[in-house]
This record gives sequence, C-alpha cells and structure tokens, in this order.
Amino acid sequence: MTSAAGTAGPAVHQFVPALIPRDATGSHTLLLRQALRDAGWRSDIFAEATHDELLAESIPLDQYPQHAAPGDVLVYQLSTSSAVAEFLLARPEPLVLDYHNITRPELSEAWDPEPARRSAEGLRQLADLAPRSVLGLADSRFNEDDLVAAGCPRTAVVPVLVDLDRLVAPADRRTADRLAAAKATGGADWLFVGRVVPSKAAHDVVKALWAYRRLYDPAARLYLVGSTPSNRYLASLRAFVADLGLQEAVRITGEVSDEALAAHFEAADVYVSMSLHEGFGVPLLEAMQVGVPVVARPAGAVADTVGDAGLLLDRTDPTTVAAAVHRVLTDRALRDRLVAAGRDRVVVHSLADAGRRTVEAIATVAGAGNVTGVRP
Amino acid sequence: MTEQDRAYLAQVMIEIDDEVRRRRASGDLPARVERELDELFLEHSPVAGRGGGLGEALRMVDAAAFIDPVVPVGSNKSGGAAVKKGLRSLNLWYIGYVTHQVSQFASAVSRSLHLLDDRVAELRRQLDAQEVPAAPVVVVSEDGAWWAADAAKALAGAPGRVLHTACGDGWLVRSLAGDGIDAYGVDPRPGKTDDAEAVGGGGGDLREEGVLDHLGAVESGALGGVVLDGVVDGMSHGERQQLLRLLGDRLAPDGVLVVHSLTPAAWDADDAPPEADLAPGRPLRPATWSHLLGTLGYSVTVHPGSSATDYLVVAVLDTPR
Repeated sequence: MTSAAGTAGPAVHQFVPALIPRDATGSHTLLLRQALRDAGWRSDIFAEATHDELLAESIPLDQYPQHAAPGDVLVYQLSTSSAVAEFLLARPEPLVLDYHNITRPELSEAWDPEPARRSAEGLRQLADLAPRSVLGLADSRFNEDDLVAAGCPRTAVVPVLVDLDRLVAPADRRTADRLAAAKATGGADWLFVGRVVPSKAAHDVVKALWAYRRLYDPAARLYLVGSTPSNRYLASLRAFVADLGLQEAVRITGEVSDEALAAHFEAADVYVSMSLHEGFGVPLLEAMQVGVPVVARPAGAVADTVGDAGLLLDRTDPTTVAAAVHRVLTDRALRDRLVAAGRDRVVVHSLADAGRRTVEAIATVAGAGNVTGVRP
Repeated sequence: MTEQDRAYLAQVMIEIDDEVRRRRASGDLPARVERELDELFLEHSPVAGRGGGLGEALRMVDAAAFIDPVVPVGSNKSGGAAVKKGLRSLNLWYIGYVTHQVSQFASAVSRSLHLLDDRVAELRRQLDAQEVPAAPVVVVSEDGAWWAADAAKALAGAPGRVLHTACGDGWLVRSLAGDGIDAYGVDPRPGKTDDAEAVGGGGGDLREEGVLDHLGAVESGALGGVVLDGVVDGMSHGERQQLLRLLGDRLAPDGVLVVHSLTPAAWDADDAPPEADLAPGRPLRPATWSHLLGTLGYSVTVHPGSSATDYLVVAVLDTPR
C-alpha cells in the first residue's frame, strides 16, 4: 500500500465501493488522492473491493476505524449502491459526496434487472446520504441537480479528474497497425467509447452507421470500445449487427488498455455518442483532447461537457446522425472549428486545474488551515 | 459560446435537416426503413417482453415487483423539491405501509409465476423426450416408374386438379399434364422443386410445402385426385390418420386417391434407405390399405410391383361424404 502523506493529524480519506483500473471513477479517485497529498493532506483510499492491479493502492473498508483520527473528512465516490454507504452513514466524521451519477434504473431494468435494482438502491442511498453530508461535489450541472434534489446542504461543480495525457502517450503499435490496415481499404472510422450497456445505446450508433454506409460511405466502420458487463445486451447487439450484415464493419473490442485506446482515438475520424444517460462523459473529453470531432445526442450532461465543440443533435434518427457525420467529415471548416473549440474546452479540464479546484472545494469544509500548499 | 458560434452551429443544423429531408424525398432512405431498423432491434430486445419468451417476461415481473415508497423529489420549481420532500417525509409511514403490502402481493404473484414456469419447463422436458419426429420423405420413384401409367389411367377424368406429393422436379406432374390431366405438386424438401428448371421445360405448378400443411390449406372438395408418393411409408399412425381425415374432406366426390408405397419387406431390407431406421412408422401392407380405405368409403384396387418391393393402391371415393 502506498503510504499517506504525513502520519498524524486530520486527513481527507476517500471511500469507494470498488477501485478498478481504467474506470472513470477509479481513475478520478486515484488522481484526487494524489492532488490531496500534493496539497499537503494525508489521504488514503478505503475500498470495499479492489482490483488485483490496484491492491497496493487501497485499504480494506473495514480497517478504517484503525486509521480514523479526529478532524478527518470522508469523501465518498458515489456512482452505485454499496455497503460503503451504510458504513459512512454510521460514521461521525464530516462527509463529502463526490457524485458521479447513477444510471436511471428504467434504462436497464428490462435488460438486466439486477443492475437496475442496484441503481434504484444507489438512488435511495443518495437520498439517505445527501442530508447527512456537508458538501456535494458534482462534475456537471446535471449531476449537481441530483445532489440538490437529494438534499445536499451545499454543492459545488468541479471538473472530473482525468489524466488526458495518457492519450497522447505512444499508442499500442499492434492496435494502431491493425486500424491503419483497415483504414487503408477506405471508409471513415467511427468511434464510441463506453460500457456496452443499454443506456449507452450503441445500437443507435449501429443504426446510424448502417444509414451512413447506405447513403454516403459503404466502407465506413464503427469501433465500440469498452467493457461488456451486460451479456444480454451484448448478445442482442451482436445479433442486430449480424442482421444488418455489418459484422465486418462493426467491431466490439471489449475493454482495452490505455495504449490501445489511444490508438483508437488516433485512428478515429469521428466520435459518435447516442448515449441516453451521461453524468459527465469522460470519453467525450478524451475525443476533444485528441482532436476527434464529436457528434452526440445531448442526453444528461453531454451538452455541458461538449458545449460548442460538437454537433449535438435534437433528432437522432439514423438518417440525421448519418447526415451530421457526413457534414463533419466533408466540411473542413466545420471540422476545424469543432476541433479547436474542443481543445479550448479541454483546457478547463486540465488535470492540474481540476485537482486544484476539487481540493479547494474540499478544503472549505475540511478547514483551509490544514492545506499546506495547494499546487496549481 | 459566442453568439456567432451559436448562429454558425444553428445554420449547420438547418442545413443537415435540409439534407435529411432531401434524402428522404428522393427515396434514398425512406422513414419506413428507419422504422424497420427499430423493429429489427426490438426483435432482439426484451423490452415489453419481446423476443425473450416467458423467462424474459418473468424477469420484468421480478424487476417491477418491488414498489418504491421513496418518491423522487426533484423539481424544476424553486422550493419544489423541499416541498415534495416534506410531503414525502410526512406520508412515508403511510405510503411505506401500503407499498410494503403491494410489494408482498407482487412478490407472491411473481413466485407463483415462477412455479408455473418451472412446471411448464418440466413438462416440456418430458414432452421433448417423447417427441415423435416427422415422417421423412422417402422417394424411390422417378421418371418412367412402373406405376406412373397405372396412376395416369386411374386419374384420367378425375373431377378436379390432381396433387402429387413429394413431386421432386415435377416428373409426374409433367407426365400427367401430357395426358391432359391438370396436375400440380408439392415437396417439403428444400430446393427440390427448383430442380424443375434443370430438367428443362419447367415442371409446372410446383410448391415447396409439406403435404399435411398443404392439405390443411386446401378448400373442402377442391381436389380431383391425390397421388401419395414418398410420404406415407414412414408415417406414424397419428400422421396417417390425420392425412386420411384431410383427404376425405379435400377430395371431391368420385375423387381418386393413388398411394404408392414400399412394402414392409423392402423397408426392412439391407438396401433400404437410411430414413427407414429413423422414421416414426413403417409401411403398411397392401391389404391394410385396402382395409383402411375400404372402411373410409373408398373402392380400392391394389397393383403389386413386379419386384415385390413396392405397390400401388388406387382408391376412388365413391360414397357421398
């Protein structure tokens, strides 16, 4: 386990149901711990479960009482239901909710009742925790609305912590070569990054690709990059792709390494999101970081995240999406404008700036006097 | 975002909408096709229980069985959330009491449905184990078969169209047509009726369909004659009874039934087709056909084959139905 900065005095500790690598919440948690430590706080991560890759980065949840000290502030990374919520409800320390949104149960209950049940339970836990918290942190106005509705006495919107530099690191050569070979045969490369679950609506992207191939570019391809936790949805999506005769055009990669993800962003001509629910949409930010234009359904926080740096479609029928993608790929001026606007937005989300703002927000409830050196 | 940016993007969206309208008007991608895309995905979706069968529907029942008494309190109006939350707190003891009972009822219903599902699954498993396969088509006749002339003679003057089962490339249909008989054929074997193109001249009216399905769709008394060839040999008793019942209704008065069958001995011979071992039934003896058809009101004549491997039964439905 990595040691906390300092050994005595109050601390800002984080609590997370599961610490998982290459996961938006997991990455945010690790980066925030670093920002807190850089600012002079003692800070550790207490997790109910930890992925093998990150075992050295966390402490089992039930060991917190041995680490507790007067003046501690507890930050809960809330994105699903978990026993952590009940644990924190029973603790006397000031509680900060760092809320990453919970997917609405109705978006998945017909497909996967268990995740839907967990989402419903998570929303109930949010309602219990919010009045008990001293501060609610949200990475979008959309998420902040949830915190306010749940009864948080005080809220702040601060950027999510994302290490966008990992995408400018060298791309995985094998993946890059494979993508380059496919590109050499012609056709545009569409990309969507996210879990392959009903709420992300990858099937709507597939419909749009089908229309795009029929109307504009018969050789276009789609890469769906992300974990596949819903076997039922994955099977349906695959069958749908087969019905449309798109087996060669649609690649469902599953979860990939950061280097392989960088290769996908490098090869992509356009990033297309038809997601029905986004609390923030980290991959949208990543697309903007690497200069890939965005075409998206403005669901949840997408409009907040993308702003004027993408085409946000009020109508998302396949023909409209196809026409929008065609416009982005053939109108050089539009493309350049979107890419430039995207890079401007990314600056707001620079890791250093996001870390500083988050630490400052937490310091307002933890006692600014404890901060020994906020670094820009 | 500046006003200029906003105006520029709005103009782009207008132009995209124009492009969509133009594409739809030109018929490149009609809205109907988009609906078909949606329907195609729905076929793979458990939404509304489609595509998932009973198990999927039960999963949805399970998901809906819990009634949440904690009403959302979000509001667009200032102070609305606080008011709603206050109301919720005031009523929660009451609503919680009611929803608890509703949830219990829903859980009991769900449990009952699961028990029924288990029972049906068990019955299905038992039925699957006892399933009788459909009779195979066993065709040993071909153009120039010894019995074709006898069949044509019996069918001359049939009071309506003549059906040939397991018609293959339509060899008998063509032969009967040559004799001035209005004949057509059905064959359930995939692609068999397409062979008519290969033999040249077309095979006439040939359809890829099983005999029972076809007779089920034919009007009462519409057929002047039926040639059962290649279909009765391996039939189960139940299928044969169903076939005779349908024939008794579909044949016109004085309609002619011609049955060509292998003999039981040929069915048991070493050189019998492999379907013989796999079929649910076995051929009847000529005498059995005579008995069976006689009791159903047919006048029966048997034509034995010279090699004793097959025979022909000609039966005329000569009693009023």
